[in-house]
Amino acid sequence: MTVLGGIGFASPWLLLGLLALPILWLILRAIPPAPIRRMFPGVALLLGLKDDESVSDRTPWWLLLLRMLAVAAVIIGLAGPILNPQQERAGSGPLLMLLDASWAGATRWGDKIDLLDSHLTEAGRAGRPVAILRLSDPEPPVFQAADVWRSRLAGLQPEPWQPAQAQVDRAIEALAAVEGGFDTYWLSDGLDHDGRSDLIAALDARGALRVFQTGTEVLGLLPASYEDDAVNLTATRSADGSEREVTMLAQGRDPAGTARVLASATATFAAGETTAEAALSLPSELRARITRFEIQGQRSAGTVTLTDDSLRRREVALIAGREDREGLELLSPLHYLNQALVPTADLLDGALLDLLPANPDVIVLADVATLSDAEEEALTEWIEDGGMLLRFAGPRLAASDVSRTEEDPLMPVRLRAGGRSVGGAMSWGEPKALARFRAESPFFGLAVPDDVTVSAQVMAQPDPTLADRVIAELSDGTPLVTRKPLGQGQVVLFHVTANAEWSTLPLSGLFVEMLERLAVSSASRMPDADDLEGTTWTPVQVMDGFGSLSDAGNLGGVSGPELVTDPTGPTLRPGLYASEDRRLARNVLPAGAVLSPAAWPAGIPVEGLAIERELPLGGVLLGLALALLAVDVVASLALSGRLGPAGRATAAGLAALLLVQMAAPAQAQDDQQAADDFALAATSELVLAHVLTGDEQLDEVAQAGLRGLSDTLFFRTSVEPAAPIGIDLERDELAFFPMLYWPVTPDQPTPSSEAYAKLNAYLRSGGMILFDTRDADIARFGGASPNGRKLQQLAAPLDIPPLEPLPADHVLTRTFYLLQDFPGRHAAREVWVEAAPPDAQQIEGMPFRNLNDGVTPVVIGGNDWAAAWAVDGNGRPMLPVGSGFSGERQRELAYRFGVNLVMHVLTGNYKSDQVHVPALLDRLGQ
Amino acid sequence: MIHPASLRERSETEASRLPPLLARAEHLAGTVLLGEHGRRRAGLGDDFWQYRPAQLGDSKRMIDHRRSARGDQQFVREREWQIAQSVMLWVDQGASMRFQSNDDLPTKADRARVLGLAVAILLVRGGERVGLTGTSLPPRRGNAQIMRLAEALTRDAPQDYAPPEHRAMIPHARAVFISDFLGDMDEVELALTKAADRGVRGVVLQVLDPSEESFPFRGRTIFESVGGTLRHETLKAGDLRSRYLDRLAERKERLAHLCRTTGWMLGLHHTGDSAQSALLWLYRALDRGTT
Repeated sequence: MTVLGGIGFASPWLLLGLLALPILWLILRAIPPAPIRRMFPGVALLLGLKDDESVSDRTPWWLLLLRMLAVAAVIIGLAGPILNPQQERAGSGPLLMLLDASWAGATRWGDKIDLLDSHLTEAGRAGRPVAILRLSDPEPPVFQAADVWRSRLAGLQPEPWQPAQAQVDRAIEALAAVEGGFDTYWLSDGLDHDGRSDLIAALDARGALRVFQTGTEVLGLLPASYEDDAVNLTATRSADGSEREVTMLAQGRDPAGTARVLASATATFAAGETTAEAALSLPSELRARITRFEIQGQRSAGTVTLTDDSLRRREVALIAGREDREGLELLSPLHYLNQALVPTADLLDGALLDLLPANPDVIVLADVATLSDAEEEALTEWIEDGGMLLRFAGPRLAASDVSRTEEDPLMPVRLRAGGRSVGGAMSWGEPKALARFRAESPFFGLAVPDDVTVSAQVMAQPDPTLADRVIAELSDGTPLVTRKPLGQGQVVLFHVTANAEWSTLPLSGLFVEMLERLAVSSASRMPDADDLEGTTWTPVQVMDGFGSLSDAGNLGGVSGPELVTDPTGPTLRPGLYASEDRRLARNVLPAGAVLSPAAWPAGIPVEGLAIERELPLGGVLLGLALALLAVDVVASLALSGRLGPAGRATAAGLAALLLVQMAAPAQAQDDQQAADDFALAATSELVLAHVLTGDEQLDEVAQAGLRGLSDTLFFRTSVEPAAPIGIDLERDELAFFPMLYWPVTPDQPTPSSEAYAKLNAYLRSGGMILFDTRDADIARFGGASPNGRKLQQLAAPLDIPPLEPLPADHVLTRTFYLLQDFPGRHAAREVWVEAAPPDAQQIEGMPFRNLNDGVTPVVIGGNDWAAAWAVDGNGRPMLPVGSGFSGERQRELAYRFGVNLVMHVLTGNYKSDQVHVPALLDRLGQ
Repeated sequence: MIHPASLRERSETEASRLPPLLARAEHLAGTVLLGEHGRRRAGLGDDFWQYRPAQLGDSKRMIDHRRSARGDQQFVREREWQIAQSVMLWVDQGASMRFQSNDDLPTKADRARVLGLAVAILLVRGGERVGLTGTSLPPRRGNAQIMRLAEALTRDAPQDYAPPEHRAMIPHARAVFISDFLGDMDEVELALTKAADRGVRGVVLQVLDPSEESFPFRGRTIFESVGGTLRHETLKAGDLRSRYLDRLAERKERLAHLCRTTGWMLGLHHTGDSAQSALLWLYRALDRGTT
């Protein structure tokens, strides 16, 4: 490839054709244009006239220039010009592409892949076999054709960890197995890591090594900590460069459950500093909803830090059984709990039934023996929903009969009467120490201090289930802490008091740790290995290199100390880990991590990531030539006068067409416009609506019926509806209509689930549907008629309350007219509405019960009301009802039902309120 | 080929816009026949002219007794001498007339025929006798003559530039020549002088296409006459323009000179203009020329 002025040419000798241009210029000038034959009677006058010179009319210079340009464009275009031609790098033989492939390069992963692609293209051209090796997850390199690798580029992903010494060793081992020398392109992420110098030495020995790395610094976000009522966020960077501002976002779910940015903070790296801090002061409600922090604009696992229990402050309700005695605070059953929990939990205080609606995480009952039935029921329900009840024993519990013979649902074990006292002045034994925690206990791994002694406790009855429920015991094997699951929650009983009366446990640090293990309190700091001794953590969600979370699937569990101390790697993926009720986030960067930039030995060339893509210009130039020739055609025609008015119009039309093509068509706007028009039509006046069934005749009758009803309303009441609208459940918005008339036909299509969702939302927001099976005189509801079956099918997915036949004192009977029958074209009695509440009772002296507080969401009947209401364009009834005068009376009653129905929809239970009128009058002394 | 009926219809349309043309005879001639135009002198006719005292030689039957009874003298009632004028049309039917530079414009022949027939209709309504020059259609009156005229006018002539028909000119008649006058001017001169010799006076209307006036051509062009007999090739049509216009002006000048010497009226009409104005001019020209 020859490069001329930054543009490479595939076949440069074609450019010699440009030399022919001046010759072409002369020829084009010399050749006269073809003559035009014209009819012209005036030729008689021309006879004998000679031309001044024998040279024909010259082609104008600009037209010549146009043609020259076109020809030049063709010549250059065929010569295969390429913008930014890749300079071929020297070298032959196998080529190794070494990628750090760690989180640090994830933000600019696309650039890396592009660079890789261009190297692979180049290697493919040179016929070099290529192998790709990812340091973060090394596999023995396989040298194969570059095209094979190119097809697999999309599958290359960064890993959410830095290459560790073990991985580098494996990579060196794998490379040692490769025979022969090879060159290496190292796509570095710009961070130093273990074993890099060994690797450099190994690679240098095999062939040339080139390094490509971005010049921009790598950003990282350290785990958030909670201190002084604020979340502290620390960002770090690899280079202490110039001042830089980063925005850190707190992501979480809003109350509606959608993920969004809940808060953001800006931190500034001062020039020369590698860390920047920001504090985020948030209400605890909001803080508890945060799931992750990230740096805006970055897309790597290192700039994401997940939150765990350490940010979450649990709400603990403390309830004591006896009144605090003034002056004896240290004896208060809650004192030590308060002390233990205040730093890490939000404490709630109050009556049990008041606290339950606040849904605390934990409720502590300190020496509370008996609960009322209502309390017990509510508490049981709360526990079964996942609450945790923590009970402490005490004199009251010991004295009570709770869980004595029968196991109380809110106690983990049965208790013996009276409890026991050891090591006191009146007893034989020594105070008992705690036994070591067993492996299955949640406290396993906690060190037991020697000075914790128990001098009194309540005793568990030996039961078959007792052994399973003990999670801590005394040195003599008597249970100290027992636990049982209840629903999704659990009940835990400390067999000692929560104060220091019965034991020294509340005085020791073990007490706090035990509470932590039970997830009563949450650690305010990252737990260290000792804290987690003996626990096993299973990953819940793991991060990929880009920082997005995915389900952990079947990844194996990790022991607690490893989780905290081991570096992240293939076996310990960053993510969210859970043990029992506790959650721990393992982030890519641990607290205090420092990002050190990679330093390269002087002899190794380092290049940036930026590549300039090869851009073939041939097609563009040939296209330009075509366009120029097209212009030339029009211009030549115009010049020689052959472009008549029609031709001119055509040319203008073509130009206009081109312009119009560029303007994007706006189909979507039309849809939006239609929806807006529909909304305007439906809302500028009150509009009655019917559901389009697809049966043309039926829809017409429904439309006419609602028109008749609208007219009646207009004449008789202050409701003045506009012309009714037929609505398509799939397409139209329902919220605009106070009621829908839905005639049922056996063969109408069942609405889609989206339409049902709309209908349910409509019903919940106070809409009403009048179902009309139109078969009242034969079916009397049920599955007896096809319409009835269809109605059941249609209404099944609807959110409809229990129904009952319209009672005689229903508000529909008196919203405007006093009615007891609701005939349409048929005169069946049964009309079904929402059932009255079971406790509705008729009050003495009141004409009717105080029924539902609202509009019945559905009215179901089969009297074919629309047919009775239907009027034609002149206001004359469309269909006959009954016969003679009685028929007209029936039609009148149908109209009255319609009026009552619309009044009911619009005014709700207003008429029902009149039930209070006598009482009001009585009170006013009238 | 224009259908006679449609030609007549369009001519009627044109003619209907003008009051009947009362061509005034200037001269008494042997062709005198009774017509509706008073000659402002006593003669044969229906309208009263004057009473004159009976003279010797007047037959007794000529005495107007109603007037004579009022006195002793005898009067003879004289009537106005009325004649009908003969008007001869010549409309160029040559191929050069069948030219239009633009689809929006009519051909020159079309315009010439419409104007010619429109004038004929006006004249016939005025009671004149209209015919074609030559022997093919001698002047007659009546609507049937208009039909015959229309039919005769739709016959195309084969030659490229048709010379004016000057045979069988009726002495002292009127004549209307409509052509583009792009052919041989000697023929035109011969016809006009011959007509003048016979006391025929009239109107010459030159009908030209706008492109013949502006010569809007450029580039290498081969010009051909409509019949294909003449051809001229030029490399730069634009350069010919001024010389062509000169020649055209010269030709117009020669025509005007001819008209001046023979006492004919000369008019110029472009097919791009309205036919109505041309007809109006024709009407006035015939009117004035007869004064």
